[in-house]
Amino acid sequence: MSNQTIKQPSKVLNNVLRIALYTVLLTMAAIYLMPFVVMLLTSLKDVEEIRSGTLLSLPSTLGFESWQKAWSSACTGSSCEGISPYFLNSFQIVLPAVAISTLLGALNGYVISLWKFKGSDLFFAALLIGCFIPFQVILLPMARTLGWLGIANTTTGLVFVHVVYGVAFTTLFFRNFYQSIPEELVKAARLDGAGFFTIFYRIILPVSIPIIVVTVIWQFTQIWNDFLFGVAFSGFDTQPVTVALNNLVNTSFGGKEYNVDMAAAIIAALPTLAVYVLAGKYFVRGLTAGAVKG
Amino acid sequence: MANLVIDNVKKRYGDTEILKGINISIAAGEFLILVGPSGCGKSTLMNSIAGLEEVSEGSILIADQDVTHSSPKDRDIAMVFQSYALYPNMTVAQNISFGLEMRKVPKEERDVEVERVAELLQINHLLNRKPAQLSGGQRQRVAMGRALARRPQLYLFDEPLSNLDAKLRVEMRTEIKKLHKKLGTTIVYVTHDQVEAMTLADRIAVMRDGEVQQLGTPQEIYDNPANLFVAGFMGSPAMNFIPATVVTGDDGAMLELATPNKTLLPFPKHESLQPYLGKSLLLGLRPEMITEPQAHKEGQKYVTTTAIEVEVTEPMGADTMVITRINNAEVNCRSNPAYPADAGSVINMMFDTSKAVVFNPTTGERVDV
Amino acid sequence: MVGLFVFPCSDSFYSEVFIMKSQNSLRPTSVQRKPKQTLADWMPKIVMAPTFIVTVVCMYGYMVWTGILSFTSSRMLPSYNFVGFDQYERLFNNDRWIVALSNLGVFGGLFIVICLFLGVVLAIFLDQKIRAEGAIRTIYLYPMAISFIVTGTAWKWLLNPTNGLEKLVVDMGFEDFKFDWLINPDMVVYCLVIAAVWQASGFVMALFLAGLRGVDGDLIKAAHLDGASTFTTYRRIILPSLKPVFFSALVILSHIAIKSFDLVAALTNGGPGYSSDLPANFMYAHTFTRSQIGLGSASAMVMLGCVLAILVPYLYSELRGKRHE
Repeated sequence: MSNQTIKQPSKVLNNVLRIALYTVLLTMAAIYLMPFVVMLLTSLKDVEEIRSGTLLSLPSTLGFESWQKAWSSACTGSSCEGISPYFLNSFQIVLPAVAISTLLGALNGYVISLWKFKGSDLFFAALLIGCFIPFQVILLPMARTLGWLGIANTTTGLVFVHVVYGVAFTTLFFRNFYQSIPEELVKAARLDGAGFFTIFYRIILPVSIPIIVVTVIWQFTQIWNDFLFGVAFSGFDTQPVTVALNNLVNTSFGGKEYNVDMAAAIIAALPTLAVYVLAGKYFVRGLTAGAVKG
Repeated sequence: MANLVIDNVKKRYGDTEILKGINISIAAGEFLILVGPSGCGKSTLMNSIAGLEEVSEGSILIADQDVTHSSPKDRDIAMVFQSYALYPNMTVAQNISFGLEMRKVPKEERDVEVERVAELLQINHLLNRKPAQLSGGQRQRVAMGRALARRPQLYLFDEPLSNLDAKLRVEMRTEIKKLHKKLGTTIVYVTHDQVEAMTLADRIAVMRDGEVQQLGTPQEIYDNPANLFVAGFMGSPAMNFIPATVVTGDDGAMLELATPNKTLLPFPKHESLQPYLGKSLLLGLRPEMITEPQAHKEGQKYVTTTAIEVEVTEPMGADTMVITRINNAEVNCRSNPAYPADAGSVINMMFDTSKAVVFNPTTGERVDV
Repeated sequence: MVGLFVFPCSDSFYSEVFIMKSQNSLRPTSVQRKPKQTLADWMPKIVMAPTFIVTVVCMYGYMVWTGILSFTSSRMLPSYNFVGFDQYERLFNNDRWIVALSNLGVFGGLFIVICLFLGVVLAIFLDQKIRAEGAIRTIYLYPMAISFIVTGTAWKWLLNPTNGLEKLVVDMGFEDFKFDWLINPDMVVYCLVIAAVWQASGFVMALFLAGLRGVDGDLIKAAHLDGASTFTTYRRIILPSLKPVFFSALVILSHIAIKSFDLVAALTNGGPGYSSDLPANFMYAHTFTRSQIGLGSASAMVMLGCVLAILVPYLYSELRGKRHE
């Protein structure tokens, strides 16, 4: 969007406005950054320094003891192994859940956009509403179901839950993307003799890379950051890292070790932050795509 | 090459009938063009022939085989789409050979076939490019190449030239005509461009509201339209429809026009007008049948010269359209640019009614048959 | 084999029988083709089936199930002893629920208004050909990549009265500065607002920025030629054209507010007392830790009602708008 003004204000006024503009923007940037900076600084100090100094005072020495403790020996609830086992749990939940929900979403989107049948649009609308329901409405029945299926408190159970409630979003993403693919492409391929899966694999999938990246990033962030399902459906040793972090912070044996809390929080945030830094463009695209429902 | 029989094909979506019993039969090697306004069912008919849509009733035979319920891939049909529908992730060569690959043709044979088709369409230099790197005209050629590669029994063209600019469209039109002559393929071709229809077709089927209005050679459709709709649809500028009263004159029933001096036009099949004496009918007269007075036609039987008032003129180069108003209907006349015809003036024009047709204004049907 | 893919209740059954007969008499070969084609025809439906089942059962089915439980006297285990609207009556006589609901009103209202305001302002400011726009945008948006649990943990530390922001300001020389919202039952809900705004406002900014970039440049040129100032152009031309973005943001933010559970769990754990509870936390506590399944279900249904009250008009206007196009 261009911002040319025909009636140029005087140069001085213009400069003053520009400086004010940058001041506001940079101040806001500092405010957004501040919590993370404080977390980082705090995690590097020792308990005594934290007590005597302020939030923004720099650590006198660079100490990574609190990181080590957070990773491998801090107490989360009943056990004292740090958050590393839960960090790995999160990966064990996230990776299969992302893979399965993305694949299902791709196939669903393919059908809804390019192999429409009677009622497929209606079903899509019903699925869309699923993106919005407050999960509190399904928590208890799902807990019972997981029990019946014998996968309560297991990683498998959490993967199942994340797939079930993630597939609405992944379907939405792929459906919107495939909407722009001309139906004639599928017709041409059918006349050429290709079947349902051949068309998907040979023609549709190769052009889907951008939306796959967006979906994978979206799902990864959503599932990694989940707390509700984690706290409701996991057992002691299958907790995801968010649950473990919350337990660690709320466990009070002796004095509060804010440096360990902060180190653990940064560790828990690292994977999604890394994805954001490395693939920010796709991350934003996923957010806005998820926002512009349908 | 194969013949195609469409036998009483109907297609319904719920309560709406898109195709209302289509009967078309074309011989092997024939070039059939489907024309009609959008929504007339021509695309549905194409999809039905291709097997992309199931018909509700009736049957379709290709090469005397009933394929009504066969899947698209078993019908041995190739289709060229308006949007070309090239596979974006494949090179031109892969696009052309994909259909053969699906039919499990060995790699060596496929390569030979790609060579042959590329040669035929002069796209050898494009074989390793992706569709995104091609111009509109090149994509069009590749789309045709993909269809040709499989040597199917029947070709379907769905408005293949409508995305090209005017110049390229004329070139490709000629090319398609040459290809058809050379290969003798059976082709069903949808278009809304009447020039394409007139120049390419062996036969034209004019469709409206899911029905075939008329099926015939281009000249038959042009000279002898079955009804008002067909007459108005084919030809540019369109045929003039002039309300005229049937009166008795020197040549039996004649048509009276309210020109500045009342004009009586003779009509070849005047007997057919007899029942309508005193009533108003629609006279269908192509613009080229109303010209400046031409010496060589003077005195011919169905030629009448009369004065008209010029409303406006549209010079087209080769000739000038003179527009007048008769019985409150706008009438296009094709006149020589050298003939003086200023807006507002009254000039003499020559009406040739030897090929005129007459329609019933309420039903739209021909009355002179 | 043939019968395997034939569904007797559908139309295709009759046509299929008919075809088999007619083809049997004419060309027996085409009969073998028929079952394969039917399988291909059913492929899209087969592929959609798992999602369909899961959606019907795990979304709509569970919704109904929770709805049914909300009319029972279930406590530790689901029972089907129906008590009518008793649980809802108990719910709205429960002080903790009333606090949670009013917290949701305060939290949701402020959170949405502040996020929208910050989002629009920052987006417009960033749209002025700013140097390093990419970097600034990245900084505004990064909290959205973080879990609410991490956000809560961080702000719990920042807002803590002894060592947090209060001490920072006091050490800067403002000795009388007091900032104890986190332990003040009347103010704690504003702590939730601060942390949630920090996390989500950058996202609203990104939405509006994308919207601004999508505004037709000719429209702005035309407005300038008509003599409109930059400010007027934004107020009269550009912002009104962003109405759809505004509504999307509104729906998403209210959705986040109603579902908010993890932020409370990490930042305040509902305390002091239950002064910072939100409905989601109330529901979780009563269903899973306090053995009040009936009451918890009733609260879940009220939450669903809130979401639907926002969602249905939105979807309705969306669909109606599309039909008009």
